[in-house]
Amino acid sequence: MATEGAGNLASGSWRVELGSCAGQRMLSSERLALPDYEYLAQRHVLTYMEDAVCQLLENKEDISQYGIARFFTEYFNSVCQGTHILFREFSFIQATPHNRASFLRAFWRCFRTVGKNGDLLTMKEYHCLLQLLCPDFPLELTQKAARIVLMDDAMDCLMSFSDFLLAFQIQFYYSEFLESVAAIYQDLLSGKNPNAVIVPTSSSGQHRQRPTLGEAGMLEGVEASLFSQCLENLCDRHKYSCPPLALVKEVLSNVQRLTFYGFLVALSKHHGINQALGALPDKGDLMHDPAMDEELERLLAQVPGLVNSVTAGSEASCLPSRTPPRVGSPWRPLHHIRKVDAESDGSTEETDESET
Amino acid sequence: MAALPVPLPSAKMAAVDKRRPAVAPAASFPDSGRPAVSQAAATPESDEDFLRQVGVTEMLRAALLKVLEARPEEPIAFLAHYFENMGLRSPASGGAGEPPGQLLLQQQRLGRALWHLRLAHHSQRTAFNNNVGVAYECLSASGRKKKPGLDGRTYSELLKRVCRDGEAPEEVVAPLLRKIQCRDHEAVPLGVFRAGMLTCFVLLEFVARAGALFQLLEDPALAVADRRVGQAVLDTLEGALQAGDGPAAPARYLEAGSRLGPDSLALAMDRALGARRPGAPMTREEFLEKAAALFIAKVKPVG
Repeated sequence: MATEGAGNLASGSWRVELGSCAGQRMLSSERLALPDYEYLAQRHVLTYMEDAVCQLLENKEDISQYGIARFFTEYFNSVCQGTHILFREFSFIQATPHNRASFLRAFWRCFRTVGKNGDLLTMKEYHCLLQLLCPDFPLELTQKAARIVLMDDAMDCLMSFSDFLLAFQIQFYYSEFLESVAAIYQDLLSGKNPNAVIVPTSSSGQHRQRPTLGEAGMLEGVEASLFSQCLENLCDRHKYSCPPLALVKEVLSNVQRLTFYGFLVALSKHHGINQALGALPDKGDLMHDPAMDEELERLLAQVPGLVNSVTAGSEASCLPSRTPPRVGSPWRPLHHIRKVDAESDGSTEETDESET
Repeated sequence: MAALPVPLPSAKMAAVDKRRPAVAPAASFPDSGRPAVSQAAATPESDEDFLRQVGVTEMLRAALLKVLEARPEEPIAFLAHYFENMGLRSPASGGAGEPPGQLLLQQQRLGRALWHLRLAHHSQRTAFNNNVGVAYECLSASGRKKKPGLDGRTYSELLKRVCRDGEAPEEVVAPLLRKIQCRDHEAVPLGVFRAGMLTCFVLLEFVARAGALFQLLEDPALAVADRRVGQAVLDTLEGALQAGDGPAAPARYLEAGSRLGPDSLALAMDRALGARRPGAPMTREEFLEKAAALFIAKVKPVG
């Protein structure tokens, strides 16, 4: 039920700008000068074409009914609208920047009500929500995002929706970049030559080691200016998406020293980076979406049994709530008790009528 | 429904198993009408053969070639449009057996021609020229009785449609249409057709840019610009366009470019502000019309 509901909501009319991510826009002359293969690779055309064919092979009945052209039209339209990632496997969801942005947006659209109600959830609960949209979503990524919010400790703490979402966005969208950053950070901590060639390590969790009280003494973290230089190098040669370098530098220019998680928190809270990524509105507007609210109410009004308690019901229908019987509990037992009383009285009909 | 019902390939997930019966109940019942899905998958015939047989391979190949030819900024949206148009064209979606009326046929032909014309931006001259050729053929293959060829009426109609869809104000483009239109019963050769289309698309872009320029000049609250500044910009533009004429073209282009450079433009605007007194403000329409007139003055009339 929750999954279906999410699907309906997310397939509403919304669009994630394709290619709106930083660095993808270019002058038309540059675009035209690219070799064919580079142009196709840059825009992931073949990824989507291949996926379209896979989907078609899995839905052979559809094409006998609607025709191939119609099938492809719907497929590519759904890619444009960002609904193509719903309920898909993780490998596809993270395959392109557009897919990642679409997934972030879908997650926000589907579970915004959590934030609106002010519910705080644990990492595991957020993970369940993610799995409603992507059944094989890896726990590791959710954990990493939670670490950004909770500054690497107390992993069973409760988090607000917007805090988690913004941290998750950085972690999910810039996953590969952050791996490399973690490696650089680790090297700086251990006093290695920062400008040596850095091979990103794939082993996760390495960066979690606390700096040993060595040459850094009581100071925690690394020196910001040095870190900034290394990241500049990294952004230059990184083949995955990076946050805009100017904004990264801005983040680092405000402080003398910083820790890895300090850096990630700053990235996740930076509204310029959020804007450059383009999947979510500004933090202040995360809960504000009147058109969506209207649609939600309209949908809820169609669900029998929820008509009287639309606002209270919105959370119950969308996700497993923390305290499920919140809506029903105050009056139902009362009603029940009175009824029992009335029955003992022997004058059932009168009381029942007056009550309902 | 915007999202396709997409069962996942890795069927190991419990969630999928739960979803599947809900999505396609028909498939799980023994149905004599068509072969069951599992059976089709089990046959030795490879996916590749299947794709070739139903024409997917050929269709995607054509689509990919179009993408590469046009190099659109957003190829996925381009593909969605491409297939949408293809679906509309196929007779299967037409429905009723009644042949469409002559008027409807004409509209369809115009729509198809427009679609071809828009596939590539005019600056990609090779792709654009190819598409113009295809559009021309679309339109010429009209009446069965008459000789094939494009008449002036259809050509004018197409020009009007292009301009209307380009969202330029009518009074701005009307002078151009007057210049490049043909008479209704004149035959339009490909050369004239191509030149007309190209001019039209270039003008539309010119007007769009002029609109953006005006936006910079205008007072956002009043939606009008200072006449002195607006006129100075137009004069500079005119000067630059005149410099662009003449035999030694490349050098002239450079000269025109430098005249339109930010510094000389700023100088002209500054001078205008100092020299004259503020007059009646200039509206967007007036600015666009005057800018377009500078362009249209350069267009050679047909015939």
